[in-house]
Amino acid sequence: MLEVLLLLFGEAVMLFGALGILRFPDVYTRLHAATKCDTGGAMSIILYLIITMNAPALVRAKLLVLAFLIAMMNPMVSHALARGAYRYGVKPKVVVDMYAWDNP
Amino acid sequence: MAQEGLLVSAFYLLVFTAVLITYRVLRGPTLPDRIVGLNTITTKVVVIIALVSVMRGEYYLIDLAIVLLMVNSVGGLILAKYMERRGAGA
Repeated sequence: MLEVLLLLFGEAVMLFGALGILRFPDVYTRLHAATKCDTGGAMSIILYLIITMNAPALVRAKLLVLAFLIAMMNPMVSHALARGAYRYGVKPKVVVDMYAWDNP
Repeated sequence: MAQEGLLVSAFYLLVFTAVLITYRVLRGPTLPDRIVGLNTITTKVVVIIALVSVMRGEYYLIDLAIVLLMVNSVGGLILAKYMERRGAGA
């Protein structure tokens, strides 16, 4: 009964992440919303699937590998995309750009 | 069955959010916006494939989800490298 909360949490995080990607003004804020919704929401939904499914243990281990790979790869790709977008020439719409202080 | 309905509603909500982000892919002002939207949509497709494999009981689809996640991450890294090099060159 309590694991339904995990699925609902994942769905809510996915929905608000999509709204953030639609409504935020900048590439970097959109990337922030996308990374949060992808990593947290996908991992909690897959953990719900692991808990509730009745399947052989090998299948559950495969789903656990999938959640682990999401947790490892998604922040890495987001970091690389933010760095690439900054080098591409897209400046963030903020007052204080602290990335430019470290990388002139 | 209650759990089946829950999984089907989760499937439809994920498809709805993917359709919402398609707007950002089509009308993104710059190239990094489109790349971020595509990356997010692909991760949602991975979760959708896992949901379908649990709903229909066809467990070989999980391997396909793992491979799609790996291809997505490598493609994102290649696109980030492309943006970096093109910005430095021009």
